[in-house]
Amino acid sequence: MADPASPRRVRPLLAMGLAGATGLGRPLLSFGFILMLWFFVTAAGLVPEQIFPSPLSVWQAGVEMAENGTLATDLAVSMRRAATGFAIGSVLGVTLGLLTGRVALVRALLNPFLTLLRPIPAIALVPVAIVWFGIGEGSKYFVVSYTVFLTVWFNTHHGMEYIPEIYLRASRSLGASRQREFLTVVIPAAAPHIVAGLRLGVALAFLSLVAAELSGASSGLGYRLQEARQYIRTDRMFALLILLGALGACVDLLVRWAGRKLVHWQQG
Amino acid sequence: MAMSGHVRVDQVSITFKGKEGPVTALAPTTLHLAPGSFTALIGPSGCGKSTLMNAIAGFVTPASGAITLDGTGISGPRPDVGVIFQQYALFPWFTALGNVKFALKRLGLPKAELQDRAMAALEEVNLADHARKFPQELSGGMKQRVAIARTFASGPKVLLMDEPFGALDAQTRIVMHRLLIDIWQKHRATVLFVTHDVDEALLLADRVCVMSQAPGRILRDYPLDLPRPRSLRAQAEVLLPIREEIIELLHPTSPHSRA
Repeated sequence: MADPASPRRVRPLLAMGLAGATGLGRPLLSFGFILMLWFFVTAAGLVPEQIFPSPLSVWQAGVEMAENGTLATDLAVSMRRAATGFAIGSVLGVTLGLLTGRVALVRALLNPFLTLLRPIPAIALVPVAIVWFGIGEGSKYFVVSYTVFLTVWFNTHHGMEYIPEIYLRASRSLGASRQREFLTVVIPAAAPHIVAGLRLGVALAFLSLVAAELSGASSGLGYRLQEARQYIRTDRMFALLILLGALGACVDLLVRWAGRKLVHWQQG
Repeated sequence: MAMSGHVRVDQVSITFKGKEGPVTALAPTTLHLAPGSFTALIGPSGCGKSTLMNAIAGFVTPASGAITLDGTGISGPRPDVGVIFQQYALFPWFTALGNVKFALKRLGLPKAELQDRAMAALEEVNLADHARKFPQELSGGMKQRVAIARTFASGPKVLLMDEPFGALDAQTRIVMHRLLIDIWQKHRATVLFVTHDVDEALLLADRVCVMSQAPGRILRDYPLDLPRPRSLRAQAEVLLPIREEIIELLHPTSPHSRA
């Protein structure tokens, strides 16, 4: 009989344990590992607490912000900005994407210009937005919706370009009018790309929002990060960063779930 | 009432844009399909048989010549020219029933009648029990049955089939052949059936047209006046010599090998 402690047996067992950690198990394993690493690095006193705070002080900073009420307010303000910007940007993006995909004139007039805009990073727009809309809500909505719009437009347009010809042939030889073809064949056929674009748009909404809030804002999670820098409160910064990460992941899960419901015929 | 569905293809040639100028996909070809007839078009791959079919469907425009249906020119896809594709072309976002309803929508029927007629069309292909399933939940043979029901539901005068059973296994094919003949005899559309399977052509069609290598043209035209259902064994006297000849035409160098 083989010795159970021999490496030959231990390795498959470990592999089995990893393979079994599906669903929530795998991320939890990873988070637990990183948290432990973080704890030991800070507990060993390798770096000053003010530069690299311990998990415990980050937790306390989070609790502190929650108790004094800034966390809830900032969260609400930021979420409202991201949601409003995303709504405006995605509606515009899908609409214009459907138009540039379907109408040759609109495509000829807009595609080269919009393609040229795409490489400009959202952060570069913040100064312009502040001049145009001030440091209030306007500039945030502008930066977020602009970023979301470009990505959603691009993906929608691509989805329209790659509609399998056979669907259009089938639809036309079955006597569908152009309008019915557009509504019941073209849009569903492009839907997987549109949904992928919306998912990217959500991620970019958070990205560009924080960029906009970091410079020229008086509230929101990004502003609070900037404020924490002024007081060298790295513990608060870490708490806010973790919150942003968790928030983004949750929203992404939600969008993925909704997308799967919406384009139920698409695998994967 | 005179039967409709008379297709005339007169001196039609088709060219495509290639890297070095235009490429001829179909040499000038003439083909007349009598109303209610069942014609099989057979030829080596790339010979232009699908191109010819796409032209009759209105998907591609001929470079020269004319295609008419009952005297009027074909200028684009239209519901009285139905098409069955090898890849089924079902809409994955609709159920089987939804796909059939799509074909009926243009008739502007009341809701209840739309539903009844779509169900009846699915019953005809023995798929009433699967009406609520999405195409991706159906087997290949079932998908093609939905496609057949969908196309016949829109009441075509002409039915174009581009290697419709090419992706199916031999057993399913036999079932599909029987089903297709049954439905065709009920609806009596003019059928053009593109295939590269000689036996399939002989078992189904009233007439088999054999095309040459690219750029294609029609080499031979065999009328087949035999009762259905057919079998190569029972009607061997007539069918086997024709079969040999067609195989010889398709593969002049190696008469006994088949692709």
